[in-house]
Amino acid sequence: MASMAAGPDHLFNLRNSFYLGAYQAAINNSEIPNLSQEDIVERDCLVHRSYIALGSYQLVINEIDEASATPLQAVKLLAMYLSSPENKESTIASLREWLADPTAGSNATVRLIAGTIFMHEEDYSEALKHTHSGGTMDLHALNVQIFIKMHRSDYAEKQLRVMQQFDEDHTLTQLASAWLNLAVGGSKIQEAYLIFQDFSEKYPMTSLILNSKAVCCMHMGNFEEAETLLLDALNKVSDDEPTLSYSDAKDPETLANLVVCSIHVGKPSPRYLSQLKLSHPEHVLVKRAASAEDNFERALQSFA
Amino acid sequence: MLTKFETKSNRVKGLTFHPKRPWILASLHSGVIQLWDYRMGTLIDRFDEHEGPVRGVHFHNSQPLFVSGGDDYKIKVWNHKTHRCLFTLLGHLDYIRTVQFHHENPWIVSASDDQTIRIWNWQSRTCISVLTGHNHYVMCASFHPKEDLVVSASLDQTVRVWDIGSLKKKTVSPADDLMRFTQMNSDLFGGVDAIVKYVLEGHDRGVNWASFHPTLPLIVSGADDRQVKLWRMNETKAWEVDTLRGHMNNVSSVMFHAKQDIIVSNSEDKSIRVWDATKRTGIQTFRREHDRFWILAVHPEINLLAAGHDNGMIVFKLERERPAFALSGNSLFYTKDRFLRYYDCSTQKDSQVIPIRRPGTPSLNQSPRTLSYSPTENAVLICSDLDGGSYELYIIPKDSVGRSDVVQDAKRGTGGSAVFIARNRFAVLEKNTSQVLVKNLKNEVVKKSSLPIPTDAIFYAGTGNLLCRSEDKVVIFDLQQRLVLGELQTPFVRYVVWSNDMESVALLSKHTIIIASKKLVLQCTLHETIRVKSGAWDDNGVFIYTTLNHIKYCLPNGDSGIIRTLDVPIYITKVSGNTIFCLDRDGKNRAITINATEYIFKLALLRKRYDHVMGMIKNSQLCGQAMIAYLQQKGFPEVALHFVEDERVRFNLALESGNISVAVASATEINEKEQWYRLGVEALRQGNAGIVEFAYQQTKNFERLSFLYLITGKLDKLSKLMKIAEVKNNVMGQFHNALYLGDVKERVKILENAGHLPLAYITASVHGLKDVAERLATELGENVPSLPEGKTPSLLMPPSPVMCGGDWPLLRVMKGIFEGGLESAARGGAVDEEEEEDAGGDWGDALDMVDVDGMENRDIDAILEEAERGEDENDEEGGWEELEGLDLPPELDTPKASANARSSVFVTPTQGMPVSHIWSQKSSLAAEQAAAGSFDTAMRLLNRQLGIKNFAPLKSMFIDLFSGSQSYLRAFSSSPVVSLAIERGWSESSSPNVRGPPSLVYDFSQQEEKLKSGYKATTSGKLTEALRLFLSILHTIPLVVVESRSEVDEVKELVTIVKEYVLGLKMELKRRETKDDPVRQQELAAYFTHCNLQLPHLRLALFSAMGVCYKSKNLATAYTFAKRLLETNPMESQAKTARQIVQAAERNMTDTTELNYDFRNPFVICGSTYVPIYRGQKDVSCPYCTARFVPSQQGNICGVCDLAVIGADASGLVCSPSQVR
Repeated sequence: MASMAAGPDHLFNLRNSFYLGAYQAAINNSEIPNLSQEDIVERDCLVHRSYIALGSYQLVINEIDEASATPLQAVKLLAMYLSSPENKESTIASLREWLADPTAGSNATVRLIAGTIFMHEEDYSEALKHTHSGGTMDLHALNVQIFIKMHRSDYAEKQLRVMQQFDEDHTLTQLASAWLNLAVGGSKIQEAYLIFQDFSEKYPMTSLILNSKAVCCMHMGNFEEAETLLLDALNKVSDDEPTLSYSDAKDPETLANLVVCSIHVGKPSPRYLSQLKLSHPEHVLVKRAASAEDNFERALQSFA
Repeated sequence: MLTKFETKSNRVKGLTFHPKRPWILASLHSGVIQLWDYRMGTLIDRFDEHEGPVRGVHFHNSQPLFVSGGDDYKIKVWNHKTHRCLFTLLGHLDYIRTVQFHHENPWIVSASDDQTIRIWNWQSRTCISVLTGHNHYVMCASFHPKEDLVVSASLDQTVRVWDIGSLKKKTVSPADDLMRFTQMNSDLFGGVDAIVKYVLEGHDRGVNWASFHPTLPLIVSGADDRQVKLWRMNETKAWEVDTLRGHMNNVSSVMFHAKQDIIVSNSEDKSIRVWDATKRTGIQTFRREHDRFWILAVHPEINLLAAGHDNGMIVFKLERERPAFALSGNSLFYTKDRFLRYYDCSTQKDSQVIPIRRPGTPSLNQSPRTLSYSPTENAVLICSDLDGGSYELYIIPKDSVGRSDVVQDAKRGTGGSAVFIARNRFAVLEKNTSQVLVKNLKNEVVKKSSLPIPTDAIFYAGTGNLLCRSEDKVVIFDLQQRLVLGELQTPFVRYVVWSNDMESVALLSKHTIIIASKKLVLQCTLHETIRVKSGAWDDNGVFIYTTLNHIKYCLPNGDSGIIRTLDVPIYITKVSGNTIFCLDRDGKNRAITINATEYIFKLALLRKRYDHVMGMIKNSQLCGQAMIAYLQQKGFPEVALHFVEDERVRFNLALESGNISVAVASATEINEKEQWYRLGVEALRQGNAGIVEFAYQQTKNFERLSFLYLITGKLDKLSKLMKIAEVKNNVMGQFHNALYLGDVKERVKILENAGHLPLAYITASVHGLKDVAERLATELGENVPSLPEGKTPSLLMPPSPVMCGGDWPLLRVMKGIFEGGLESAARGGAVDEEEEEDAGGDWGDALDMVDVDGMENRDIDAILEEAERGEDENDEEGGWEELEGLDLPPELDTPKASANARSSVFVTPTQGMPVSHIWSQKSSLAAEQAAAGSFDTAMRLLNRQLGIKNFAPLKSMFIDLFSGSQSYLRAFSSSPVVSLAIERGWSESSSPNVRGPPSLVYDFSQQEEKLKSGYKATTSGKLTEALRLFLSILHTIPLVVVESRSEVDEVKELVTIVKEYVLGLKMELKRRETKDDPVRQQELAAYFTHCNLQLPHLRLALFSAMGVCYKSKNLATAYTFAKRLLETNPMESQAKTARQIVQAAERNMTDTTELNYDFRNPFVICGSTYVPIYRGQKDVSCPYCTARFVPSQQGNICGVCDLAVIGADASGLVCSPSQVR
């Protein structure tokens, strides 16, 4: 089913910037004339989600008030969830209330945020409960990611096919297929690399694209090139995105991948790891490394 | 049919192409012969001497001649250069139908209504043969292109072939007189030397035309029976082969095509028909509305035809000759015949890639028209006009270059044009609906999009964008955003050429080139009188293009010029530096080297890259009047100045550029009044009073000079000038100067001297010079003039100048941009890069622009800073709000039904198995288990295989292996990161979804590297460092994985090598600690020499052992070490010491102390206690590193590798999956 295009898509660039991790660009270029009411809400959601991605949770929480539209409220909820993990129970409680409401609960953005939050909670079945029916590209893309996290690439592929039928050239479709390609591995890695390569030729470089390319390189066994790309990405963050409250934080994935790369190229650099530990103590790599130590000691015990 | 040129005139009866130049002669029914340049489209000449229609005309193939024959029975031979009819051949008794030159002999054949064919010698200007036999008008006669044959067609319904061989024999005979005699004979007795060879009968009506095939023994004829007949002949006979039916009226002319296997005929039915000569079927018909066709002509060399009709003629070709091609980097793909070919511009290698489909129907112009290539996917789209526009998609197999001959089953489709718009997407135009279909490489429609304008062709315009062409404009359309990015009114665009950086585009029309930006903002437009054929961008942003006969360039500002002329049209594919790559009409690749100096220079000038300009001025000879004119016209006289030697031109340029000093120098050189005068004017304009003065002095222009002195206040010079005037007896000058000076006495004196006494008197008296006045009055006597009454005279004094002397102050010292550079260049010799850069800096200072830029930048910076501050403030405001407390979203009443309803159908799938689990299930290699995070399994494996019990040294490696087995992908914004398992041994052909083993941090080559650095450290005596390295190898090897069996052996070998070093180094380090025990020291040193070491290291060990023993006076032992050392062929320094010790020991072969060391008895050394275990004694060994120990060490941790338990049971090192299988 090929979609038949109608009028110009005003939010195209904004959406693209957001998906590709050019959050500051998305925020800076959000003043678009001639938007419909619907588009304005979507625009605001994208802008605020960009702020969240940059870590400016408080700004989002403050800017969205009770009068704002439902989708925006949902975005605010996400900001609250991410900003204060200690209060997450209450946030999740209000999320559940929202979801129970038939109008709010069927709103795509609300469902998207629910999916995201439950995914953070690693409650995938709860997340899928709200997202599996899809409806927007965002939701489908999130589904792909959830299934990848569940190691069910067969399901992820089904979601991807839905996206491809809807719009094969959509940025999210391309991204999701790259994610899936990476997850299934093998010759597909090359395809994932080409997708990110296409992005990097077509759009301004972002640390997200660089990082994704680096991951492809790592999976192809080319750790030197990956390291170069990651160092690029690291500089990119500090050069291009002197953002409001995010300034100290290096991109965690870049750091994490750098740690892995430096192990592989045989020049371990504890600096990246300590940097990551400082800026993102909750990062998977940090947790993994800590659990590995415990694991080792425990295994040692069994020999003693 | 592709019409190239068309004329309107009286009926055209005869046509002939010039063999070399783009000319065609058309003879008209009105009696005029026109000479046209069909390329330029201009009438060059007309020849108007025939009376009545001229039916036949023909160019000579080498001389500037042509022949014509008309209804005035005259054959005229003309020189078209001198525009003269050279002579007229008389003899025919009726209208002349055709005339033709022979290709080598000086002959002309003519056909006439007098039923004869005549052959003439145009050098002797006589008729040499009359061919009789036809019994009606002979409509056409022509020589065979190679053999001694003539073919003729007549209204007697026959075609005849004549043998003129004997005529040729006669001509070659040397005797001129004799020849003339026989010619007379032939005239008298009629055509004995030309005999009819064949009479071809078959047409039912009069035959209008017959002609030979250029190479084959074939004849084609056309007649009033509306048929075209094909005849074949051999040595003895000729016969009819086939008849081509289709014309609706008399066939007037028919010919074989010069290059293709086709027959072209035209007829009074107003059509031209094209026939396949082999299949003898009609291919195509071109009709005209009102004009009957009378004559055809085929160009002998190139692919052109001409046809004459009632109201003029057309020059046309049947098929496009432009090969379809696409360039990507250095790779050029193009089509030739039925193959896709590949040409590498860097190596200039040409190869055949794959065969492509040949059109099934034999119609014309179905060959590939455009080609689009996707480099990443190695896919090619070939578009042709087949089936009203269609495309074929081929994927080039990676390894098939030049091999396969099988036509791939291409994916096909119909559409106006198809181009790649992304790596794996192409767009296909649906013309009638103005829609594009975006398709993937499987030829499936991915998306449909309607275009903003009615479009008849699409071109690539950057990823995801299309350039859509309509009749009178082009737009760039973004397919994803569905936005028009740019729009431009243009003539009908035929080709689109993007610059290498995709920033500029050249739109080529028939006679126009439009350069625009990527958003279609017009940059410049160029008009050409000759057709534009192709173009490409060079790396500097100059557009290089070809017309039919030139290679030209176009600078970004629209300046253009000719680079060189062309003999034949070419299609530029790529420009790289001085080389132009192109395809010619035969589909051959060519590389043409051009002289790019001119346009590079102009470009540098345009871009204000004066350093480059400078370099080029210094290094190349590109001057010439044209270049100077260009520089002048473009406002760069100061640059032109540096090209010119001629002083006059130099002077003019200097004045134009206001360069006074150069002008002065030139003026001095020329030293003519005219130049000095102009110099003065310019200097005056610039306010350079000194030069003005100098110029006036040089021209002796005293009047101007005195005025100059007056206004500049140089009164002393003015009075000097007055003196000069006095000396020169120039009364007026003197008077003027006096007037300027206000010197009344002088004036009176001058007047008096000049004999104007009344004037002198009046002047004197008016100015109150009483005594002089009185003296003059007496002299005048009664002629004293009366002074005006009632007026008080006042003294006229010149005002004092505002400013005295000197030049006008100049606003800024405009040091000529080039002057500085040239001077420095002159000082420093050749301009090299560095100097240019330096010079650039200097120039920068001189230019005000730079400062202005700086200012602007500062301003912008300031604004930016302010803006940022503003943002910060906003931020703070945000912070305050936070203090006021958060408003949680209002809680809503929550009926729960719907959410449940939605989820009821959906069953969450169970979680899949993480890759690390798969790893740990599959693998029996410790390293892979560690990478999968199953440390306990890994440890159990190591214990079982190698008896390892001490895992502490392996901790960091375990953790690194584990950490290194995953990558982290940030996927959807704000959602948790995705960790992905990194697999080992990736290749392009690995199949997806099949889990490979984990990627490992350690490999064998790393260990070899470490071994090398360990050796190096040992050599340089950094023993602790060396030991650390060797130990780390030993510690890593249990976690190294190699692929093949042979590598396993290498790993095992490495273990033994390293073990020896670890043991040796440990002993050596121990020896250095035990300084107080000389015996033990000697023993350890001695044992060290029995470790299996590299030769240089062994020498070092021996040397040290020798020294230690010698010091302890164990000369006999020292002697054995010295001997062993000498056997190893050591360096001279070591050898010398060794020899001395040998000498010393030989004198006293004793040991003072007893050592536990018997070098004659083979032994190994215990890895913990460092005592020798002689052969036959009991020992235990380490299951991993194979170090040996005294039995008492059983059960302890190995002292060498520090990992395994001595004497433990172990199955052995497993470090490769090949061992497990």
